[in-house]
Amino acid sequence: MEDVRLGHGNVPPKVPPVIASPEEAPTSSGLCHDSFRRSGETIPHGSRRPLLSGFARYALRRLLLIPAQLVFVLLILYLVIDVPISLMQTPPESLAGIDRGFFQMVFNLFTGNWGTASFVRFLNGGGGPNPLEPIPWTWIFAYYIPTSVQLAMFALPIAAALAYPVSLLAGWSRRPGLDTPARVVTLTGALLPVFVVGTLVLNVLFLSYLGYFQDIPSQGLLPADFWFFDRGGYPSWILYGFATQPTGLPLIDAVIHQAWTIAAISLIKTLIQASVVAIAYVAIFFRHARSIARSVREEVYIVGARSRGISERTLLWRHAARAVAPSFLLVFALTIPEYLGVQFAVEVAFVDPGFGYLIFASLTGGVLSPLVSLVFLLAIVVLVWALVVDLIAIRLDPRGVAAR
Amino acid sequence: MTDAPVPRPADVPLAPPQPTLRERWARRPPSPGFLVGAGLLAAYLVAALSALIVFRRSLDQLPRNLAWTPPFNPIGPSAAHPFGIMPGFGVDLFNAIWQATPWDLAIVAGILAIDVFLGFFLGAIAGLDEGGLVDAIVTFVGDSLGSIPTFILAVVAFAGLLTVAPNVVGLPVFVAVFGIILWPTMARTVRERARVIAHQPYIEAARASGASFPRILVRHVMPNSVGPVLSQVPLDVAPIFFVLSAFPWYYNCQLPGGPPTPPYTSPVPYLAPSLPFFSPLPSGSFPEWGYLLGFGTCEGFSFPGGFDYWWMYLFPLLAIVGLGLALGLLCDGVERWRRFDR
Repeated sequence: MEDVRLGHGNVPPKVPPVIASPEEAPTSSGLCHDSFRRSGETIPHGSRRPLLSGFARYALRRLLLIPAQLVFVLLILYLVIDVPISLMQTPPESLAGIDRGFFQMVFNLFTGNWGTASFVRFLNGGGGPNPLEPIPWTWIFAYYIPTSVQLAMFALPIAAALAYPVSLLAGWSRRPGLDTPARVVTLTGALLPVFVVGTLVLNVLFLSYLGYFQDIPSQGLLPADFWFFDRGGYPSWILYGFATQPTGLPLIDAVIHQAWTIAAISLIKTLIQASVVAIAYVAIFFRHARSIARSVREEVYIVGARSRGISERTLLWRHAARAVAPSFLLVFALTIPEYLGVQFAVEVAFVDPGFGYLIFASLTGGVLSPLVSLVFLLAIVVLVWALVVDLIAIRLDPRGVAAR
Repeated sequence: MTDAPVPRPADVPLAPPQPTLRERWARRPPSPGFLVGAGLLAAYLVAALSALIVFRRSLDQLPRNLAWTPPFNPIGPSAAHPFGIMPGFGVDLFNAIWQATPWDLAIVAGILAIDVFLGFFLGAIAGLDEGGLVDAIVTFVGDSLGSIPTFILAVVAFAGLLTVAPNVVGLPVFVAVFGIILWPTMARTVRERARVIAHQPYIEAARASGASFPRILVRHVMPNSVGPVLSQVPLDVAPIFFVLSAFPWYYNCQLPGGPPTPPYTSPVPYLAPSLPFFSPLPSGSFPEWGYLLGFGTCEGFSFPGGFDYWWMYLFPLLAIVGLGLALGLLCDGVERWRRFDR
């Protein structure tokens, strides 16, 4: 009698592959099931189908690792901020209220007590509520994060549009005289402090921008104070501290309220700053990504295709461009902290009320109390962002999961 | 019964002798980039050593000439002052940059030494011990620390230490803190290379012949993992000078509302150089390139027509970029030479 358990549709199983080591056993990896499924073969008798695929297990493992990493970051922040201040005999007012132990620090963080009101008073230039009154975390989200988000929404695509072809072309080129100049230019770009680049751009643009828009190209992503004063004051949807309603993103809110001139100025300001961010970041990205394009150039299938007469242009833009995409994404995931550093410095150079400006202001003003929350928030963003980009890269790369 | 003839030591074919440095040089001369980098670095070293002699009496204090301080007009580059005058400091900029050279070389060398030592060593161990406890710890700590931008973590850590012991914590502690914080990036790239090397047949052969873990690490894995170190070292110069220049720039420029932006008002109220509380520099007149660049950018653009006072930020910037380029060209040249020589 035929054993129907052998496979679906009574197809006799094929000869199982030779197993060289226990790690390659079909039962040890969901990938084997995937490969059987894709090739239309039956799953060998006796093997257990895993609950999750290899990719899902990898994603889950990485996701579960994030809380542990965040606890480690909290410990580091406790050691470098809270412990030193708790050792002080008489901490100044700006540092008051944060020497309360690790668990209190975590409790404050998750209950929204992100520092004291002296921090807000400092940023607002004096006045304000009782210095020991906790500041609500919603203020940070309402006032500072939208500006950074709007800038990143433009800077990231511009950076990608620049970094992708530039790195690919420079790595692909076989011209002997191109390599060293490319390295020198990108290293110089990485070494130039971005605030210097931002200041230069600001001053180059100043006169033409003032002449055309009757505005200045800095001081946030909305027109400057005097622009509004010359036109009868602020509209009702712009609140104190340049926070806008309802979304908080200046450009979107201007469009929602059909304030087209404000939207145009906000768009131009964002594009200027995003371009500076992108140029500075491309120099960092290029140093990592160039060698990837170069290694793809030497791949066997590229060499084979070239020998069959396929044009260099087709090889570059149809084959190599796809092949480098996952690796480029991994480089992007690796350099996210550098990207944020660049954006923060540009925010400071252009006086944006953004997250980077907040960190610079609190550090320079000696107000360390909100830094635990701000750096912790930053770590969450970076870790989640890196995970998402990493997973996309692996999903795009057929070798990704297997390689791990 | 006769034994088989045992070959005499003289009959055993010897391994080909290793080429000497002179032979290697003749076979493959270093690239022009390497020579330029080595020359630049030598010039920096000569400048640093000569500064130790010339400024030996007050190496940590910029000599202030009150005749050059505001409200007098800034003096540009000339035969007497090749790099011009920095009015806020009241110093000749050429002398200031020269005087700062030994300090900056020491800061960069110290930070990079700690960074390379930790990153190279831990990365190589993690790569060779792939999947082991050391690998797990190094990867976890590296990824966690790497989730915070380097300059923020360095400044926050240093500021925290400074609040405990302001009189003790200074430049050496800053160097140590920065070096410790920089290592994850280095370790990550070294680990990837070490992982590949750990699976090479010659490593398996060494393991099979009884070589210990430390011996394989030091004799085989680390020498073959130098490439990522050489490509990462020049990049690690950038965050050092970013921290040393960005915060003095912001602090000196800060007005109600932030750094100065055009149109500028007169008189400008921020021309006296000063340092934020968490600065690693011991005083406001300490010679250091990043401080000169940060203050120079602020002061240069604080006058109406900032581009007319270009020397205040250009020359400190060139000193910083020149050092980074020298290291970059040198490391690239060494890496190419090693690859060819193998």
